[in-house]
Amino acid sequence: MKKMDKKVLIIIPAYNEEECIYDVVSNISKVASFADILVVNDGSSDNTYNELLRLEVNFLNLPINLGIGGAVQAGYIYAYNNNYDFAFQLDGDGQHNPKYIKEMLDILIKKGADMVIGSRFVEKTSYNQTFLRSIGNKFISFIIKLLSGKKIYDTTSGFRGVNKEIIKIFASKYPYDYPEPDTNMQIVLKGKNIKEIPVEMNKRNTGKSFVSPIKSIEYMLKVSLALFIAKIRKEN
Amino acid sequence: MIYYFSICFAIIFIVFVILLVRNNKLDEKYSILWLIFSILVIILALCTKVLDKISSFLGIFYAPALLFLFGFIFVIFYIIHLSTVVTKQNKSIIRLTQEIAILKNIINKNDNDNDNDNVNNNYKDTEVK
Repeated sequence: MKKMDKKVLIIIPAYNEEECIYDVVSNISKVASFADILVVNDGSSDNTYNELLRLEVNFLNLPINLGIGGAVQAGYIYAYNNNYDFAFQLDGDGQHNPKYIKEMLDILIKKGADMVIGSRFVEKTSYNQTFLRSIGNKFISFIIKLLSGKKIYDTTSGFRGVNKEIIKIFASKYPYDYPEPDTNMQIVLKGKNIKEIPVEMNKRNTGKSFVSPIKSIEYMLKVSLALFIAKIRKEN
Repeated sequence: MIYYFSICFAIIFIVFVILLVRNNKLDEKYSILWLIFSILVIILALCTKVLDKISSFLGIFYAPALLFLFGFIFVIFYIIHLSTVVTKQNKSIIRLTQEIAILKNIINKNDNDNDNDNVNNNYKDTEVK
């Protein structure tokens, strides 16, 4: 790849990822050497901080656990302050394969998308999900379509890339609780262009995403509420 | 009797609020609403006729119940008000946390770059008493 004249930042939120953060970050820096990496340690109580020191990677160390929204936003503020042209966010647990970043970046640069989502559902991928989870995702997708008129297949994906304009928006305002569906819809409502590309998700290296039926339904309801509110929220 | 009780309670409450403000345990701006509320309770308890009239207008047979209704409505609104205060503080805390992390990141970079003590000196200035 020819030398990049654009500044690209990869934001990796990490909360208690001591077991895999080392491998995840070294893998990303290998695959996406054209970009700068910023790990956001979200007040981890385990050894994540020392792992980051060992990696000699650039990181933000949040003194308090803010949750995923606050952590990712810290990354976007950093990107905004340092004048980055594009920013990507990847989970710190290794679910997202960094090999897609280049393709996503191409879409941002050449196809004029404002945001690109690494999606599990645009095409059939081997990502196997529980029945409830699939219903939940379809439901949220439907709500967004209803409220904004745009079909987004994977609304909850935390694998996204954005351009400078969106970095600015996210740096000033980013929801704390269910950031992905919420921001996806806000971006659409602002008349921005979102594209999705199919990606294969890796199995989580560590940790388990636990989805009990009640949790799934609770999640669905809360996200729907957040979306309706996002629709009627005044800009300030 | 219930009116005397309400008046006593309201007076004790006003004294309590003023003491809290005096000892810096409560901001003035949060005390004002409580004070207004207590004074209203006293006025209503003194003007029993007014209370009676409003009650009969609303179809409440037991006039002091109106006093409780007012109190209850006020408390609900006040709790909502406090929720907005919490929301605002939460936002501030998140932003401050992010800024601290970013500042520490810059300080570490400066430290690594030129290994001088200036940065550390600046750090001490921010110490709070």
